[in-house]
Amino acid sequence: MSGPGAADSGFLIDRRYVIGLLLRLFVNFAVGVGILFLILFFALSRPLPGDYAGIYQALRSLSPFLRPVLAVSVMIYALLACGSTSALCVYILHKVAGPLYRMELVLDQYRSGGPTRTVSFRHGDQILALAQEFNLWIGTLRRDRQRWLETMRDAERHCLQDEATCRAEMEAALRKVAGEMAGYR
Amino acid sequence: MRTPSLKPPRPRIRYVSPRFQGPAVMAFAAIIVAGGAIFWKLVDGAFQRVFLRAAVRGHYTFDSAYDIVRDLLAWHLAGLFVGVLLAGSALVLFLVAATRRGIGKAVETLRASAGGDLSTPTGTGPIGEFNRFGEKIDAARSETLETVIKIRSDATALAEGGISPEEFRLRWDELKQRIRGIAP
Repeated sequence: MSGPGAADSGFLIDRRYVIGLLLRLFVNFAVGVGILFLILFFALSRPLPGDYAGIYQALRSLSPFLRPVLAVSVMIYALLACGSTSALCVYILHKVAGPLYRMELVLDQYRSGGPTRTVSFRHGDQILALAQEFNLWIGTLRRDRQRWLETMRDAERHCLQDEATCRAEMEAALRKVAGEMAGYR
Repeated sequence: MRTPSLKPPRPRIRYVSPRFQGPAVMAFAAIIVAGGAIFWKLVDGAFQRVFLRAAVRGHYTFDSAYDIVRDLLAWHLAGLFVGVLLAGSALVLFLVAATRRGIGKAVETLRASAGGDLSTPTGTGPIGEFNRFGEKIDAARSETLETVIKIRSDATALAEGGISPEEFRLRWDELKQRIRGIAP
C-alpha cells in the first residue's frame, strides 16, 4: 500500500492490541508448559527403591514405563493448550471479526436499499478506519445527492415564470446534474 | 397486561466468525501439536538413553528419576515453550499483517469511492474472509455506479429535449425519485 493509506495501516490494528495478544499467548503457553512440567514431575519424582539391585532394576524398567506417561502428559498439554489458545483466539479476534460482521450487515442493508445509518464500533474494536471511510463515502454520496436535488429544485422554481423558461432551466439543471455525475467512474 | 414492544430487534453481536477465526485456531493448534510431538520424540529418546546409562554407571546418588533428568527436562521444556511461543508469535504477526493488508485495501477502496472511483476492484489478500468482504464492498460500489450511470444517461436524454411537456414532467419526477434513492 502506498500514499496516505500506508500511514493508516498501523491505525487499523492498535499496537497495544497486538502486544496484549502476544502477552496472553506468552502466559497461555507458559501455563501449558507448567502443567506439562507438573505432570512429569509427579511421574518422575517417585522415590527409587533403597537397595542397589532395586535401583538398577527400576532404572532399567523406567524407560518403557515412562513412554505412555510421557505420551499421555504431552497429549494433555496439547489438549489444554489447544483449548485455551482457541478460546483466546476467539476472544481476541472478535475485535476484528465483530466489526467485519457489522460492516457486512451495513453493506447488505445498503445494497437492499434500506436507510444506511452511520457505522460505529464497540469500545476496543479494531479496524476503526473501515467505519470512518465507509461513513465518509456514504456522506459524500448523500452530499452529492442533496446537491443534485437542490439543483433540480432551483430549476423548478423557474416554473413560476413562463413554460419555456421553466423547461430551459430544467434542461440546464439536468445537464448540470449529468455533468456532476460524470465524476463517478 | 404489558404491550409487546414494537422496537426492531437489535442485530446480535457475533463473536465467532468461523471463516476468519477458524483457520487461525487451526494454525495455533497445529503449532502446539507439532511442538508437543517434537518434544515427545526428543524427550522419549533422551529418557531411553539417560536411564539406561544411569543404571549401568552405578553410584546411585539420586533419590528419584527426576533427579537424573532434571536438567534435561528443564531444557526440553524451555525449548518447547520458546519454540511454540516463537511460532505462535510469528503467526500472530502474520495475522496482523494480513489483516492490515486485507482491511487496508478495503479502506483504500472506500476512500477512493468517496473520491468518485467506484470501479477499481478492491483486490485480494492472503485471507479469504477479507477477500469476500472486499467483494461485498465492490458489489455495493458497482450497484451505486450502475444507478448513477443510469440516472446520468436518463438525465442527458431528458435534457436533449424533443419530449412533450407532460412526459418531460413525468420523467423529471421519476428521476428525482431515483436520485433520492441514492444512499438513503
